Amino acid sequence: MRTGIPFALLSALPLLLAAAPAPAPAAKAATPAPATKTGAQPAAAKAGVQPATATKGPALTAAKAADVKKAIAAPGAKAVLVNIWASWCGPCRDEFPDVLKIRRDLGSQGVRVILVSADFDDAEARADAVKFLSDMGVDFPSFIKVGKDEEFIDGLAKEWTGTLPATLVYDGTGTLRDLREGKQSYETFRGMVEKVLKDGSARPAS
Amino acid sequence: MKQSLALVSLAVVAAAFAVAPMFAQDAPKALGLGAAIPMADKKMKNVDGKEIAVADVKGAKGTLVVFTCNACPYAKGWEDRIVALGNEYKAKGIGVIAVNANDPGKVSEDGYDQMKTRAQEKHFGFPYVVDATSGLAKAYGATRTPEAFLFDAQGRLVYHGTIDDNMQDPEKVSSHYLSDALAAVSSGKDVAVKETKAMGCGIKFRA
Repeated sequence: MRTGIPFALLSALPLLLAAAPAPAPAAKAATPAPATKTGAQPAAAKAGVQPATATKGPALTAAKAADVKKAIAAPGAKAVLVNIWASWCGPCRDEFPDVLKIRRDLGSQGVRVILVSADFDDAEARADAVKFLSDMGVDFPSFIKVGKDEEFIDGLAKEWTGTLPATLVYDGTGTLRDLREGKQSYETFRGMVEKVLKDGSARPAS
Repeated sequence: MKQSLALVSLAVVAAAFAVAPMFAQDAPKALGLGAAIPMADKKMKNVDGKEIAVADVKGAKGTLVVFTCNACPYAKGWEDRIVALGNEYKAKGIGVIAVNANDPGKVSEDGYDQMKTRAQEKHFGFPYVVDATSGLAKAYGATRTPEAFLFDAQGRLVYHGTIDDNMQDPEKVSSHYLSDALAAVSSGKDVAVKETKAMGCGIKFRA
């Protein structure tokens, strides 16, 4: 079951990386970074890339809204669930296992789950995010939001007020189909995604 | 020909809207610009023990209502700026009130005693009240902390949104949204940027 989705996500990765200004080194950063205290990686720093992690853990790629949207619209998914969370956010932590369960349970049905950390843009916060992901058993790449809040919020979905956590569900064409703010249950997540699976993509007739 | 083309494109646009997402989320819509102060007479317990309403703090030049809390990192990050702006503009004729709508049963740091301590420590020069039913937040359609609503002298909403564009570092703020809006309102001018967004912690509404 667990092998089903990484495939979907991996297929999105080239696109993501192609979109990011500092793509290739970011991909390298997906391999475990040397566990230095400061998280400083001279090679990566030279290449203008922030170290992905200060400790060992899943890759965390800096992303703006456009990068997340590319991952959403990458081919291969019938429905895409985007969960925006932060390691300091209680309701985000509470619902996180259910987000991962959606990925395990529905990945084989073409559901792509994209995690976006809204942890702050500094080394300490990034380390917190990576630690949380590791603790949750996340073993696939995900994003950390960078840049201005408003640009990110409106860039992703005008309907989103900026409240955390937020869960957005898209269809296979990358059209936003549902949005929930605040902590949700597994059943809610599942219902949001299954509705899209059932209805298919809502592409306007041409 | 041109007209029929226009009609066709209209139809295409309409079709696109027809499949626009109908979100199941039934969150109340935030107060629109120009709206009057909702539930202005609802009494809420202030950190000084007295029951007060937004109507009681209404300023001659305008009124600022900020939904905030003790625990949220965003609220804490902006706290000093909220207090500084509140204190400054209270002296300039703007009524100011901070409202905590969080359920302390969900976030213990948002209990009444903790609010009292915070208001003292941070020198709130304005009321910090408990929205004991979260009803005020719901009436405003507020969703997160911090979230500011600024009304003009006539009690119409003229600004809704965040404090500024850099919660983490006051030195790196480039757009001082709330400060600019307060300056405009207190001098009877039109607010230039009326609606803004930032990330924030979801309000932990009471059931």
